[in-house]
Amino acid sequence: MATRDNIIQVKDLKKHYNQGKIKALDGVTVDIQRGDVMVVIGPSGSGKSTFLRSLNLLEEPTGGSIHFGGMDITKKKSKDANGNLVKVNINLHRQKMGMVFQHFNLFPHMTILDNMTLAPVQVKGMKKDEAEEKAKHLLERVGLGDRANAYPIQLSGGQKQRIAIVRALMMEPEVMLFDEPTSALDPEMVGEVLEVMKELARGGMTMVVVTHEMGFAREVGNRVLFMDHGQLLEQGTPAEIFDHPQHPRLHDFLSKVL
Amino acid sequence: MLSAAGFAKTWKYIELFKEGLVCTVSLSALTVLFGFFLALFLAVFRLSDINVFRFLSRESQWRLREKGGFVYAASRFNPVSFLATVYVEIFRATPMLVQLFFIYYVLFAGVELPSFKLFGFIRFDRFVPGVVALALNSGAYLCEIIRAGIQSIDGGQTEAARSLGLSQWQNMRFVVLPQAVKNILPAIANEFVTIIKESSICYTIGVQEIMYAVASTKGATYRIAEPLVIATVIYFCLTFPTSKIIAYFERRMSRGDKR
Ligand SMILES: Nc1ncnc2c1ncn2[C@@H]1O[C@H](COP(=O)(O)OP(=O)(O)OP(=O)(O)O)[C@@H](O)[C@H]1O
Ligand SMILES: [Mg+2]
Repeated sequence: MATRDNIIQVKDLKKHYNQGKIKALDGVTVDIQRGDVMVVIGPSGSGKSTFLRSLNLLEEPTGGSIHFGGMDITKKKSKDANGNLVKVNINLHRQKMGMVFQHFNLFPHMTILDNMTLAPVQVKGMKKDEAEEKAKHLLERVGLGDRANAYPIQLSGGQKQRIAIVRALMMEPEVMLFDEPTSALDPEMVGEVLEVMKELARGGMTMVVVTHEMGFAREVGNRVLFMDHGQLLEQGTPAEIFDHPQHPRLHDFLSKVL
Repeated sequence: MLSAAGFAKTWKYIELFKEGLVCTVSLSALTVLFGFFLALFLAVFRLSDINVFRFLSRESQWRLREKGGFVYAASRFNPVSFLATVYVEIFRATPMLVQLFFIYYVLFAGVELPSFKLFGFIRFDRFVPGVVALALNSGAYLCEIIRAGIQSIDGGQTEAARSLGLSQWQNMRFVVLPQAVKNILPAIANEFVTIIKESSICYTIGVQEIMYAVASTKGATYRIAEPLVIATVIYFCLTFPTSKIIAYFERRMSRGDKR
């Protein structure tokens, strides 16, 4: 049963392709608690992205369940907190889960300010000037206060990714999902993005982060998941995972990346 | 064949050609306008994700069935996209003249259009079926242009929009279409050039465009070569600069992208 601290409960999550010949996710069960900074590691093709993208249903699972806000969002209808059967509105749940992508995915035809205010204005019905006020405040916080009227093409990779993060924050999500947010960046820009993420973590944001930045995982993460072949092979605190790995495949993986 | 006397005779009817020019330009402009909006809807329909038989691929509690097999294929059937595709394929696979006659003699047979004259000379009851036929036809071609434009937009754009909570329609309206239309503006302008030329077919139903001026002048003067030369010059002066301007903007825009 749902305890109070569990924000997302994933149960036996499966994503199969080609009638089960490819098992991108092969039965993943995990609870994500409020305030968790959960870092997902694993070799290429192990299903990390598929897992993350399933959480906000950018991928539709072929089995299992994801409970978020007390509802199973993989179903068409689900019982809400009061036990009533209600229609699951995925747009509503996505508003509560911010997502940051490897390739930033800023909207190139809009200014930074418009990138940030689009969703709050169109989806939440926030007033335009109120949204702009909020956007400018967030931009200040990540040191980009002077770039509000720039277009994405005029920014560096690190700046784009910081914008992508605050764009997601505009919706005041309960959870932030990061899929290799620093993998497309030049090395000298990785730090500035990780700094923003650390700041978020310190503020108590619940985060699920797929990354190859083991330093970040160790320093900021409070739980680490190791995935391989679509399965969750091991999970624990950073100290447990990095200093006392149990599974031979985790040994193998760490010896290659550390 | 061509003679100075022939040109002198033809020149008396130059007013007809001026009217023809006005008519051809308004015919083509309205066609692109209506054709574009028709195409926008057709393209969005073709790419829509409306699966009314989706329940077929659902097991208990609407769980998605794994890909493959006949039932899965049937569950993906999208009637809206299917109808839009049928429309596009029919209009691209049949002659323009057949479509024009169908629309003028069959579709508009029972429609009583007011017989007033646009700009004082363009017969409205001929002009409207002409625009309708051309727009329905170019809508099919423009649909494929717009569809390609939409598909050229990186999927990450849609993922970012949806993950912010935008609906499928809001994503189209605010994120995908503005970018797609910018990319395909040159192709749309090219379609405009094509329509200027193809609109000549409307003379067969009595729309007073440039070829109609040729036919009238021929009837009155028994000269054909000289009116044709004039028509050729007019068409060339319309289309050649237009394509040059398009090419110029195309070059400028691609330079902007590489920056
Ligand atoms: N549309 C698809 N059709 C078939 N197989 C797919 C599809 N999408 C993903 N897969 C497979 O699912 C598996 C998991 O992919 P996923 O992208 O989740 O891995 P990953 O751990 O994120 O890898 P990386 O570190 O390279 O990003 C891979 O083997 C991939 O080939
Ligand atoms: Mg990945």
